[in-house]
Amino acid sequence: MTLLKLSIPLGNEILTTVRLATGGVCSLAGLDIDRSEDCKLCITESLLLLLHAGYSAARVEFSREEGLLVRVEGEGMGTGKEGAETEISEALLGALAGSVSFERKDGVLTAVMLTF
Amino acid sequence: MEERELFQRYRETRDVALRNEIAEKYLYIAAVLARKFSGLGVEYDDLYQVAALALVKGIDRFDPDAGVKFSTFITPTVTGEIKNYFRDRSRLVHLPRRVAELKSKLRQAAETLTLQLGRKPTAKEIADALGVTEEEVLGCMEAGSTISLETPVGDGEGRLADVLGDTSDDFDRFETRDAVRTAIGGLSETERFLIKLRFGEELSQTETARRMNVSQMYVSRLERKVLDKLREEIKKGMV
Repeated sequence: MTLLKLSIPLGNEILTTVRLATGGVCSLAGLDIDRSEDCKLCITESLLLLLHAGYSAARVEFSREEGLLVRVEGEGMGTGKEGAETEISEALLGALAGSVSFERKDGVLTAVMLTF
Repeated sequence: MEERELFQRYRETRDVALRNEIAEKYLYIAAVLARKFSGLGVEYDDLYQVAALALVKGIDRFDPDAGVKFSTFITPTVTGEIKNYFRDRSRLVHLPRRVAELKSKLRQAAETLTLQLGRKPTAKEIADALGVTEEEVLGCMEAGSTISLETPVGDGEGRLADVLGDTSDDFDRFETRDAVRTAIGGLSETERFLIKLRFGEELSQTETARRMNVSQMYVSRLERKVLDKLREEIKKGMV
Protein backbone atom coordinates (compact mmCIF):
# COMPACT_ATOMS: atom_id res chain seq x y z
CA MET A 1 0.00 0.00 0.00
CA THR A 2 1.48 3.32 -1.06
CA LEU A 3 1.75 5.76 1.82
CA LEU A 4 3.31 8.78 0.15
CA LYS A 5 4.94 9.85 -3.13
CA LEU A 6 7.26 12.82 -3.25
CA SER A 7 8.64 14.47 -6.34
CA ILE A 8 11.49 16.78 -5.46
CA PRO A 9 14.26 18.85 -7.00
CA LEU A 10 17.63 17.48 -5.91
CA GLY A 11 19.63 19.87 -3.78
CA ASN A 12 21.06 20.04 -0.29
CA GLU A 13 18.48 22.62 0.78
CA ILE A 14 15.59 20.15 0.31
CA LEU A 15 17.07 17.38 2.47
CA THR A 16 15.74 18.66 5.81
CA THR A 17 12.23 18.80 4.35
CA VAL A 18 12.59 15.24 3.11
CA ARG A 19 13.84 14.14 6.53
CA LEU A 20 10.81 15.69 8.24
CA ALA A 21 8.41 14.06 5.78
CA THR A 22 10.21 10.75 6.19
CA GLY A 23 9.87 11.00 9.97
CA GLY A 24 6.11 11.36 9.54
CA VAL A 25 5.88 8.39 7.20
CA CYS A 26 7.97 6.23 9.51
CA SER A 27 5.63 7.09 12.35
CA LEU A 28 2.66 6.18 10.16
CA ALA A 29 4.28 2.87 9.29
CA GLY A 30 4.91 2.11 12.95
CA LEU A 31 8.71 2.14 12.82
CA ASP A 32 10.39 2.69 16.15
CA ILE A 33 12.46 5.83 16.68
CA ASP A 34 15.83 4.20 15.99
CA ARG A 35 14.63 2.72 12.71
CA SER A 36 13.13 6.11 11.80
CA GLU A 37 16.54 7.73 12.20
CA ASP A 38 18.14 5.01 10.06
CA CYS A 39 15.47 5.47 7.42
CA LYS A 40 15.94 9.24 7.28
CA LEU A 41 19.67 8.91 6.85
CA CYS A 42 19.31 6.22 4.17
CA ILE A 43 16.89 8.29 2.13
CA THR A 44 19.04 11.41 2.21
CA GLU A 45 22.05 9.25 1.32
CA SER A 46 20.18 7.73 -1.63
CA LEU A 47 19.23 11.19 -2.83
CA LEU A 48 22.86 12.26 -2.63
CA LEU A 49 23.87 9.21 -4.67
CA LEU A 50 21.39 10.24 -7.35
CA LEU A 51 22.55 13.85 -7.19
CA HIS A 52 26.16 12.73 -7.70
CA ALA A 53 24.99 10.51 -10.55
CA GLY A 54 23.84 13.63 -12.38
CA TYR A 55 20.10 13.78 -11.70
CA SER A 56 18.47 17.11 -10.95
CA ALA A 57 15.22 15.70 -9.55
CA ALA A 58 14.00 12.54 -7.86
CA ARG A 59 10.89 10.67 -6.76
CA VAL A 60 10.61 9.07 -3.36
CA GLU A 61 7.84 6.52 -2.91
CA PHE A 62 7.01 5.03 0.46
CA SER A 63 4.86 1.94 0.68
CA ARG A 64 3.93 -0.39 3.46
CA GLU A 65 4.30 -4.11 2.87
CA GLU A 66 5.70 -6.34 5.58
CA GLY A 67 7.71 -3.36 6.77
CA LEU A 68 8.36 -0.04 5.07
CA LEU A 69 9.54 -0.10 1.45
CA VAL A 70 11.12 2.99 -0.03
CA ARG A 71 11.98 3.53 -3.66
CA VAL A 72 14.19 6.51 -4.44
CA GLU A 73 14.40 7.09 -8.18
CA GLY A 74 16.19 9.66 -10.31
CA GLU A 75 14.05 11.75 -12.66
CA GLY A 76 15.39 12.64 -16.09
CA MET A 77 18.79 11.51 -17.26
CA GLY A 78 21.76 10.61 -15.10
CA THR A 79 25.26 11.18 -16.41
CA GLY A 80 26.59 7.86 -15.19
CA LYS A 81 29.34 9.56 -13.24
CA GLU A 82 29.59 8.33 -9.68
CA GLY A 83 31.07 10.26 -6.77
CA ALA A 84 34.30 9.21 -5.11
CA GLU A 85 32.32 8.19 -2.04
CA THR A 86 29.80 5.99 -3.82
CA GLU A 87 31.24 2.76 -2.48
CA ILE A 88 31.12 4.04 1.11
CA SER A 89 27.60 5.37 0.62
CA GLU A 90 26.43 2.00 -0.65
CA ALA A 91 28.06 0.19 2.28
CA LEU A 92 26.46 2.70 4.65
CA LEU A 93 23.02 1.95 3.19
CA GLY A 94 23.76 -1.76 3.57
CA ALA A 95 24.63 -1.21 7.21
CA LEU A 96 21.53 0.81 8.10
CA ALA A 97 18.69 -0.56 5.97
CA GLY A 98 17.07 -3.96 6.38
CA SER A 99 17.92 -4.56 2.76
CA VAL A 100 19.05 -2.39 -0.11
CA SER A 101 19.26 -2.87 -3.86
CA PHE A 102 20.41 -0.61 -6.65
CA GLU A 103 18.88 -0.41 -10.10
CA ARG A 104 21.19 0.54 -12.94
CA LYS A 105 20.56 0.97 -16.64
CA ASP A 106 23.58 0.83 -18.93
CA GLY A 107 25.77 1.22 -15.86
CA VAL A 108 23.95 4.38 -14.71
CA LEU A 109 22.28 4.34 -11.28
CA THR A 110 18.55 4.86 -11.74
CA ALA A 111 16.99 3.93 -8.38
CA VAL A 112 17.66 2.74 -4.85
CA MET A 113 15.24 0.35 -3.13
CA LEU A 114 15.28 0.19 0.65
CA THR A 115 13.38 -1.84 3.23
CA PHE A 116 13.03 -1.18 6.93
CA MET B 1 51.36 -1.84 -2.23
CA GLU B 2 47.96 -3.37 -3.06
CA GLU B 3 45.26 -3.51 -0.36
CA ARG B 4 45.35 -7.28 0.02
CA GLU B 5 49.12 -7.42 0.24
CA LEU B 6 49.20 -4.58 2.76
CA PHE B 7 46.74 -6.31 5.09
CA GLN B 8 48.36 -9.71 4.66
CA ARG B 9 51.72 -8.25 5.65
CA TYR B 10 50.13 -6.59 8.66
CA ARG B 11 48.44 -9.81 9.75
CA GLU B 12 51.76 -11.60 9.59
CA THR B 13 53.88 -8.97 11.30
CA ARG B 14 51.44 -6.93 13.44
CA ASP B 15 53.86 -4.10 12.80
CA VAL B 16 52.47 -0.90 14.35
CA ALA B 17 54.16 1.28 11.74
CA LEU B 18 52.40 -0.71 9.03
CA ARG B 19 49.08 -0.41 10.87
CA ASN B 20 49.59 3.36 11.03
CA GLU B 21 50.29 3.41 7.31
CA ILE B 22 47.05 1.51 6.67
CA ALA B 23 45.14 3.82 9.01
CA GLU B 24 46.46 6.90 7.19
CA LYS B 25 45.46 5.40 3.86
CA TYR B 26 41.87 4.74 4.95
CA LEU B 27 41.30 7.63 7.35
CA TYR B 28 39.23 9.30 4.65
CA ILE B 29 36.51 6.69 5.29
CA ALA B 30 36.27 7.84 8.92
CA ALA B 31 36.06 11.44 7.68
CA VAL B 32 33.33 10.64 5.15
CA LEU B 33 31.20 8.72 7.62
CA ALA B 34 31.64 11.29 10.41
CA ARG B 35 30.44 13.93 7.98
CA LYS B 36 27.34 11.88 7.11
CA PHE B 37 26.26 11.89 10.75
CA SER B 38 27.29 15.45 11.59
CA GLY B 39 24.64 18.15 11.75
CA LEU B 40 22.51 15.95 13.99
CA GLY B 41 23.65 17.67 17.15
CA VAL B 42 27.14 16.27 17.64
CA GLU B 43 30.27 18.09 16.55
CA TYR B 44 32.05 16.69 13.51
CA ASP B 45 35.38 16.51 15.36
CA ASP B 46 33.92 14.25 18.06
CA LEU B 47 32.37 11.96 15.46
CA TYR B 48 35.62 11.90 13.52
CA GLN B 49 37.49 10.72 16.61
CA VAL B 50 34.97 7.95 17.24
CA ALA B 51 35.13 6.91 13.59
CA ALA B 52 38.92 6.98 13.48
CA LEU B 53 39.18 4.80 16.57
CA ALA B 54 36.73 2.29 15.10
CA LEU B 55 38.77 2.28 11.90
CA VAL B 56 41.97 1.40 13.75
CA LYS B 57 40.21 -1.39 15.68
CA GLY B 58 38.77 -2.65 12.39
CA ILE B 59 42.21 -2.88 10.80
CA ASP B 60 43.15 -5.48 13.43
CA ARG B 61 40.07 -7.55 12.67
CA PHE B 62 40.02 -7.35 8.88
CA ASP B 63 40.75 -10.59 7.04
CA PRO B 64 42.02 -9.81 3.52
CA ASP B 65 41.19 -13.37 2.44
CA ALA B 66 37.50 -13.05 3.36
CA GLY B 67 36.66 -11.78 -0.12
CA VAL B 68 35.41 -8.29 0.72
CA LYS B 69 37.14 -4.96 0.27
CA PHE B 70 38.29 -3.16 3.38
CA SER B 71 35.97 -0.20 2.72
CA THR B 72 32.97 -2.55 2.52
CA PHE B 73 34.02 -4.30 5.71
CA ILE B 74 34.81 -1.21 7.74
CA THR B 75 31.82 0.99 6.85
CA PRO B 76 29.25 -0.96 8.95
CA THR B 77 31.74 -1.18 11.81
CA VAL B 78 32.39 2.55 11.90
CA THR B 79 28.70 3.30 11.40
CA GLY B 80 27.83 1.09 14.35
CA GLU B 81 30.35 2.87 16.58
CA ILE B 82 29.00 6.27 15.58
CA LYS B 83 25.46 5.16 16.34
CA ASN B 84 26.55 3.80 19.71
CA TYR B 85 28.18 7.14 20.39
CA PHE B 86 24.96 8.97 19.63
CA ARG B 87 23.01 6.60 21.84
CA ASP B 88 25.36 6.42 24.78
CA ARG B 89 27.36 9.61 24.99
CA SER B 90 25.05 12.34 23.82
CA ARG B 91 24.22 14.92 26.41
CA LEU B 92 21.35 17.33 26.40
CA VAL B 93 22.15 21.03 26.16
CA HIS B 94 22.09 24.07 23.92
CA LEU B 95 18.43 23.96 22.98
CA PRO B 96 15.62 26.41 23.49
CA ARG B 97 14.22 25.65 26.93
CA ARG B 98 10.87 24.27 25.74
CA VAL B 99 12.50 21.97 23.19
CA ALA B 100 15.10 20.87 25.73
CA GLU B 101 12.37 20.04 28.24
CA LEU B 102 10.34 18.15 25.68
CA LYS B 103 13.44 16.33 24.48
CA SER B 104 14.20 15.27 28.04
CA LYS B 105 10.62 14.06 28.56
CA LEU B 106 10.74 12.35 25.18
CA ARG B 107 13.82 10.38 26.17
CA GLN B 108 12.30 9.34 29.48
CA ALA B 109 9.04 8.37 27.81
CA ALA B 110 10.94 6.36 25.19
CA GLU B 111 12.74 4.42 27.92
CA THR B 112 9.58 3.82 29.94
CA LEU B 113 7.59 2.74 26.90
CA THR B 114 10.40 0.46 25.75
CA LEU B 115 10.15 -1.38 29.06
CA GLN B 116 6.34 -1.44 29.01
CA LEU B 117 5.98 -2.55 25.40
CA GLY B 118 9.03 -4.79 25.18
CA ARG B 119 10.14 -2.90 22.04
CA LYS B 120 11.08 0.60 20.97
CA PRO B 121 8.02 2.91 20.82
CA THR B 122 6.84 4.77 17.73
CA ALA B 123 6.65 8.56 17.60
CA LYS B 124 2.86 8.34 17.95
CA GLU B 125 3.07 6.25 21.10
CA ILE B 126 5.50 8.75 22.62
CA ALA B 127 3.24 11.64 21.59
CA ASP B 128 0.23 9.94 23.20
CA ALA B 129 2.15 9.28 26.39
CA LEU B 130 3.34 12.88 26.66
CA GLY B 131 0.08 14.49 25.55
CA VAL B 132 1.73 16.35 22.70
CA THR B 133 1.26 16.10 18.94
CA GLU B 134 3.12 13.65 16.80
CA GLU B 135 4.57 16.62 14.87
CA GLU B 136 6.09 18.01 18.05
CA VAL B 137 7.76 14.70 18.77
CA LEU B 138 9.10 14.41 15.22
CA GLY B 139 10.33 18.00 15.25
CA CYS B 140 11.99 17.45 18.58
CA MET B 141 13.76 14.35 17.28
CA GLU B 142 15.20 16.52 14.50
CA ALA B 143 16.46 19.18 16.90
CA GLY B 144 20.13 19.05 17.91
CA SER B 145 20.55 17.76 21.39
CA THR B 146 24.16 17.23 22.18
CA ILE B 147 27.18 19.12 23.33
CA SER B 148 30.76 18.77 22.21
CA LEU B 149 33.45 17.82 24.69
CA GLU B 150 35.29 20.82 23.25
CA THR B 151 32.60 23.23 24.48
CA PRO B 152 34.19 26.00 26.60
CA VAL B 153 33.24 25.99 30.28
CA GLY B 154 33.75 28.46 33.14
CA ASP B 155 35.31 31.65 31.81
CA GLY B 156 35.81 29.99 28.50
CA GLU B 157 39.37 28.96 29.18
CA GLY B 158 38.70 25.27 29.75
CA ARG B 159 36.88 22.54 27.82
CA LEU B 160 34.01 20.38 29.03
CA ALA B 161 36.24 17.34 28.56
CA ASP B 162 38.70 18.77 31.13
CA VAL B 163 36.13 18.91 33.91
CA LEU B 164 34.46 15.55 33.32
CA GLY B 165 35.66 12.66 35.41
CA ASP B 166 37.89 10.06 33.77
CA THR B 167 36.90 6.40 33.59
CA SER B 168 38.87 3.24 33.47
CA ASP B 169 38.40 1.58 30.10
CA ASP B 170 39.69 -1.73 31.47
CA PHE B 171 37.02 -1.90 34.14
CA ASP B 172 34.28 -0.89 31.72
CA ARG B 173 35.44 -3.53 29.27
CA PHE B 174 35.50 -6.24 31.96
CA GLU B 175 32.06 -5.26 33.23
CA THR B 176 30.63 -5.12 29.71
CA ARG B 177 32.09 -8.49 28.72
CA ASP B 178 30.66 -10.11 31.84
CA ALA B 179 27.23 -8.57 31.24
CA VAL B 180 27.28 -9.64 27.58
CA ARG B 181 28.21 -13.22 28.48
CA THR B 182 25.34 -13.41 30.98
CA ALA B 183 22.86 -11.88 28.54
CA ILE B 184 23.83 -14.24 25.70
CA GLY B 185 23.23 -17.18 28.06
CA GLY B 186 19.56 -16.19 28.16
CA LEU B 187 19.09 -16.41 24.37
CA SER B 188 17.54 -19.32 22.49
CA GLU B 189 19.72 -21.67 20.45
CA THR B 190 18.70 -19.98 17.17
CA GLU B 191 19.40 -16.54 18.57
CA ARG B 192 22.83 -17.62 19.83
CA PHE B 193 23.61 -19.12 16.42
CA LEU B 194 22.72 -15.82 14.78
CA ILE B 195 25.00 -13.92 17.16
CA LYS B 196 27.81 -16.38 16.48
CA LEU B 197 27.51 -15.98 12.71
CA ARG B 198 27.00 -12.20 12.64
CA PHE B 199 29.36 -11.06 15.37
CA GLY B 200 31.67 -14.05 15.90
CA GLU B 201 32.33 -14.91 12.28
CA GLU B 202 31.33 -11.41 11.13
CA LEU B 203 29.29 -12.71 8.20
CA SER B 204 26.99 -10.44 6.22
CA GLN B 205 23.22 -10.72 6.78
CA THR B 206 22.92 -12.38 3.37
CA GLU B 207 25.55 -15.01 4.15
CA THR B 208 24.05 -15.55 7.63
CA ALA B 209 20.63 -16.07 6.03
CA ARG B 210 22.14 -18.65 3.65
CA ARG B 211 23.74 -20.55 6.53
CA MET B 212 20.53 -20.47 8.56
CA ASN B 213 18.44 -21.35 5.53
CA VAL B 214 16.14 -18.35 6.02
CA SER B 215 15.57 -15.02 4.24
CA GLN B 216 17.80 -11.98 4.73
CA MET B 217 14.73 -10.07 5.95
CA TYR B 218 14.21 -12.68 8.65
CA VAL B 219 17.84 -12.34 9.74
CA SER B 220 17.50 -8.56 9.82
CA ARG B 221 14.39 -8.74 12.02
CA LEU B 222 15.78 -11.44 14.31
CA GLU B 223 19.05 -9.56 14.70
CA ARG B 224 17.27 -6.39 15.73
CA LYS B 225 15.11 -8.31 18.19
CA VAL B 226 18.10 -10.11 19.66
CA LEU B 227 20.15 -6.94 19.96
CA ASP B 228 17.26 -5.16 21.67
CA LYS B 229 16.92 -8.10 24.03
CA LEU B 230 20.65 -8.14 24.78
CA ARG B 231 20.68 -4.40 25.29
CA GLU B 232 17.89 -4.63 27.84
CA GLU B 233 19.50 -7.56 29.65
CA ILE B 234 22.89 -5.84 29.72
CA LYS B 235 21.30 -2.66 31.02
CA LYS B 236 19.62 -4.63 33.81
CA GLY B 237 22.82 -6.52 34.58
CA MET B 238 24.89 -3.35 34.85
CA VAL B 239 22.56 -1.31 37.03
